Amino acid sequence: MAVYINSTGRYLPGKAVDNEEIENVLGLINGQKSRLKNKILNANGITKRHYAINDKQQTEISNGEMAALAGKSCLEDSYLAPSKIQMLSCATSQGDLVLPGFGSMVQAELDLSEIELHTSHGICSSSMMALKAAYTNIKCDETDNALVIASELTSRLFKRSRYEQVTNNKVDFNAEFLRWMLSDGAGALLLENKTRPTGTSIRIDWIKSFSHADVYPVCMSVGISKDNVNKSWQDYETYSEAEKAGALMIRQDVRLLENIVAIGVQGFLKLISQGKLNINKIDHVLCHFSSKHFKSKIFDMLETAGASIPENKWYTNLYERGNTGCASIFIMLDEFIKTRKLKVGETIFCMVPESGRFNCAYMHLTVME
Amino acid sequence: MEQIVLTKLGQSCMQALLTTWLDFDLSLTKVPIVKRLEQGRLSLEDYQQLLLNLRQQVIEGSRWISRSASSFDRDYSDVRAIVINHAHEEHKDYLMLEADYLATGGKQETIEAFKKNTGSEALHGFLMYRASHPNPVDLIGAMWIIEGLGNKMASRWSRHINEQFDFDTKVTSFMDYHGENDESHLLELYKLIDRVASSQKNVDDIIRTAKVVAKLYQLQLEEVDNA
Repeated sequence: MAVYINSTGRYLPGKAVDNEEIENVLGLINGQKSRLKNKILNANGITKRHYAINDKQQTEISNGEMAALAGKSCLEDSYLAPSKIQMLSCATSQGDLVLPGFGSMVQAELDLSEIELHTSHGICSSSMMALKAAYTNIKCDETDNALVIASELTSRLFKRSRYEQVTNNKVDFNAEFLRWMLSDGAGALLLENKTRPTGTSIRIDWIKSFSHADVYPVCMSVGISKDNVNKSWQDYETYSEAEKAGALMIRQDVRLLENIVAIGVQGFLKLISQGKLNINKIDHVLCHFSSKHFKSKIFDMLETAGASIPENKWYTNLYERGNTGCASIFIMLDEFIKTRKLKVGETIFCMVPESGRFNCAYMHLTVME
Repeated sequence: MEQIVLTKLGQSCMQALLTTWLDFDLSLTKVPIVKRLEQGRLSLEDYQQLLLNLRQQVIEGSRWISRSASSFDRDYSDVRAIVINHAHEEHKDYLMLEADYLATGGKQETIEAFKKNTGSEALHGFLMYRASHPNPVDLIGAMWIIEGLGNKMASRWSRHINEQFDFDTKVTSFMDYHGENDESHLLELYKLIDRVASSQKNVDDIIRTAKVVAKLYQLQLEEVDNA
């Protein structure tokens, strides 16, 4: 049974916020401008993003509502009546509630009846896990279709007050790094077991991921403090103590991050040697990672080995839409499909490297009638 | 970068070598002493132990390279010349390693009396065995792995060690040295790959030897804690 992406949708909250305005929204930590901001923004190249919080750091729209709006925009572009949706598969790194699962909240928001539900939890690659669950469900004939939605509202973690609660106001580089990287948004894909009557369908040829959590320590996290990586936020006497200790901050171990390139390339080469991937037949690359981060020795070697994909085949909208964690790849696909004149038979290779604890997901797509 | 590996076979050999290296790199990260080193938990005794254990292989290293040079016949005289040069360049590396060991407070008699660990025995044994075969082109695979590790030591391990310890004199000259002339070493390896990856059999042999050497090198590092 072949599985097709028959429509896509996205929702980006509020207006686009440029680099100068970020601190007007997230707030100045202790009233002071960040000294790291420009350095990190120059490195990641992002120029615009969207936030679901306003300049008083109040939430304007919830994560579940954003997910539902992306889902609606996806369905409005499809031939399928909402009542015919058989499965809802959702991903986020942090829902509005700790429990129940994010998918339940999104289902209620979308008012979908008696669907099969799946929620995948993780960071950037969780959308690919949610997609794979839906893909395999259709592939093995369990359902005819599935709506897959990934949504992120990370700006709540970046409010100035989050940093100001930490004892001694200690904000180290690793705690501040992601403040200038991540933003909010949602993306959705509709999968079906048949192509659209008119318009473009994209066949999913395969989805594969390789996780390396057994090898590396945690690289991106919420729930542990810098000083005590063995104590979960739930192990503090009170939640406010966890916050004071910095255990509720989102952190990135920047030094470990460099390993993401090696594991990304390792999986890529593995797929080539398994015969899943023919680099000469890739027409487009969509990667949840800026290509300039790949400019490294390993990348040079890949070129020498005749296994690199020319720069002009890479597409991204990360710089203008922001890095929206797990939603990014769907938001990227949505804009790519809607703005490009795709030809039948063209192939799209997607790659989502997640630094959380090093999972890298890949997908191969082919453009159909 | 200049396109060095030009042939189709050379490129497929490079892809397989890169995969072998990346697999090896991941496995190494799980070796206990490497884990301690890369996560900032290396004790001084650990570092001394690491140097003691590496020394044997470094000394023996120039022996297998020299022997393999003598195993190349006249059809491979150009390869032989490169390999001889390589052996000459590296045959005194162990002196740097000894100097580092002494700088950490180790004693000359200790490092001189230290025996190969079980992994080093296996690694050295395998390399000498392969080097004794006629035209041992597969040893390019061994060089690839060992060169890659040298680069990892220079670019990563040295940085971690220097952050963990504070000595008056340099204790990482051996590791740092492998970062110097790195680019020219790499170009030399690329040329060799292009030269010897001339048949599928040669490519298969190169990859097999690279995999065996990677596994035995891993064993050597695992055995540091048991030596």
